[in-house]
Amino acid sequence: MHEFLAQLANGVELGAIYALIALGYTLVYGILELINFAHGDVYTFGSFVALGILVGLRAAGALHGAGLVLGITAALVAAILASALLNAGIERLAYRRLRKAPRLAPLITAIGVSFILENLIELWQGSAPVPFPNVIPNPQLQFGELEVGVQQIVVVALAIVTMVALHFFVQRSKLGKAMRAVAQDRDAASLVGINVDRTIAMTFLIAGALAGVAGFVGGVSFGSAWFLNGFGAGLRAFTAAVLGGIGNIAGAMLGGFLIGLLESFSTWLIGGQWSNVAVFSVLILVLVFRPSGLLGETLPEKV
Amino acid sequence: MDLPLSGADASVGTSTLDGIKLAVARANAQGVPGGFTFAVQALDDTQQGVHNPQQGASNVRTLIADDSVLAIIGPYNSNVAAAEIPITNQAGIVQISPSAVSDGLTLGKDAAMLRRANPGVNTFFRVCTTDSRQGSAAARFALDLKLKRAYIVDDNETYGLDLANVFARDFTKLGGTVLGRDHIAPDTQDFKALLLKIKGYKPDFIFFGGTTSTGGGLLRRQMFDVGMGKLAFMGGDGIPDIAEVAKKRADGTYYTVAAPNADRLPAAKRFVAAYKARFGSDVGPYSANAYAATQVAISAIEQAIETNGKKMPTRAEVLAKIPRNAKNEVLTPIGPISFDKNGDVRKPVISLYAIRNGRSSFIEQLNLSE
Repeated sequence: MHEFLAQLANGVELGAIYALIALGYTLVYGILELINFAHGDVYTFGSFVALGILVGLRAAGALHGAGLVLGITAALVAAILASALLNAGIERLAYRRLRKAPRLAPLITAIGVSFILENLIELWQGSAPVPFPNVIPNPQLQFGELEVGVQQIVVVALAIVTMVALHFFVQRSKLGKAMRAVAQDRDAASLVGINVDRTIAMTFLIAGALAGVAGFVGGVSFGSAWFLNGFGAGLRAFTAAVLGGIGNIAGAMLGGFLIGLLESFSTWLIGGQWSNVAVFSVLILVLVFRPSGLLGETLPEKV
Repeated sequence: MDLPLSGADASVGTSTLDGIKLAVARANAQGVPGGFTFAVQALDDTQQGVHNPQQGASNVRTLIADDSVLAIIGPYNSNVAAAEIPITNQAGIVQISPSAVSDGLTLGKDAAMLRRANPGVNTFFRVCTTDSRQGSAAARFALDLKLKRAYIVDDNETYGLDLANVFARDFTKLGGTVLGRDHIAPDTQDFKALLLKIKGYKPDFIFFGGTTSTGGGLLRRQMFDVGMGKLAFMGGDGIPDIAEVAKKRADGTYYTVAAPNADRLPAAKRFVAAYKARFGSDVGPYSANAYAATQVAISAIEQAIETNGKKMPTRAEVLAKIPRNAKNEVLTPIGPISFDKNGDVRKPVISLYAIRNGRSSFIEQLNLSE
């Protein structure tokens, strides 16, 4: 039981990171029907920005007491802003001019952008994994049979707060409504006076911000940042988005947590070398038997 | 030469290359018969941040295509060596690795497969010892340290899997208990699921077969995230650079190196001093091996030049001058070197190191004379 709960907690932590990245895939797909393969690398970028800020602050001796909380917040905010701007920049430079092109063109462009980002990050940070500072104190807490680290709680809590905020933004705010309208019918939305270009740019900005949060919590959780991190994490998150129903926000969150749990439990029960097999088998099974994903039909409205 | 010079293996690769450069500079300074000079052509076998067998094979082809190349030093990694040996064997060119320790490169059926193009000839030599020798030594070191219950993890690569297999076999034979084994997938970022599973077995230590870049660094680091920071962690010569990833969390790590401790060998002191003077940094784990491998190659080439009337020798003539017995041993910072018929050194030594306060310190060494 003790071990089951420990794996459960670990799976939720991993899943929270995947869910955040998966949301970025799903938001962009919802509005443009484009799989933004560069999204994983935006996540990597966010991780490195947070790492840079934390290393800088630590070298300046600013990570003590109240400075620690401030420093962590600064790193998180910087990662969010940097990733959001990068993602919006990619849309402006690479995807916008292809909006009327056949669907294959932006898809291949996305793969190209992904390679460019990976190589730029490699030039910037080198090709070896860079250790992420251990900023969050990590004592283990005991709740009955369940033992969790403080760091784990912070990671999951940050992810959940972000997701709740996203939910309210999309459902309640004016911009969220505009996003949903553009997702449903771009031409009709522009007829009622919605600025389509701005709304799409906004969606990329939000997707990038989510990748920034994921980059920060991923760095904290894994303890390192690497220029190719986004490739593996991006593929798993993409699987999560497809599992939940691509284009569906609740689906991406559900899929993220399921993939995280699957990775954790398959490592525990069948062995670490099989966890990738388990995860990507799910991708194949979903694509074959339920291409619309778990929540794809019950909630047809996409964003 | 061919080594991993960028990416996750860059620091060990570069310090190994510096060992080669030093040996070449010294030989040129002393004068080469026939008025020749030696030059180092450095090729990198890294792709996407990790040592890559295909890249290694292509580098070796590049070197072989150049007629002035008489010997190849490298590679660093066993899986790269397995891709290169068939090519150097076919070309009949001497190849000496400072550090590729997998058994199958020189021993048994695997080695015979690698030499199938030219079965009668062996062109591959290594100045390090083998996995099986290193794995057995690690098993003995672990029991010396009163570590009796092991959980074994490996990276499923040639080097890591072999090392883990031999360690498991010998550790059990010597009275230790292997609680369980696991293999990790490439590119894994999260090792906490695996570590939580291992925690349930309550081991005295984790033995890791693999390198820092294939998961050793993150595994050690994440042990602290699941409350296993105090547990000992042991591995082979794939993890001497673990402190660069795990930082202070590397403390409590033990590793073996298939070479004598350079600081303790009188012959090595001069090498260490010369290395520091030239490169301004401490010797890497395989700098001395690389220096030795290069010395052996240079000595064979110089002898071949002499017997060829001070003219450029052929690759076969160089191969014939590789030291085979105690009489023509080459004196190196890692001891006198000559090779047996398989291409392995005849007097292997294994050293044990521990990481304390983020720095490696030498603990003990074993002389394994078969």
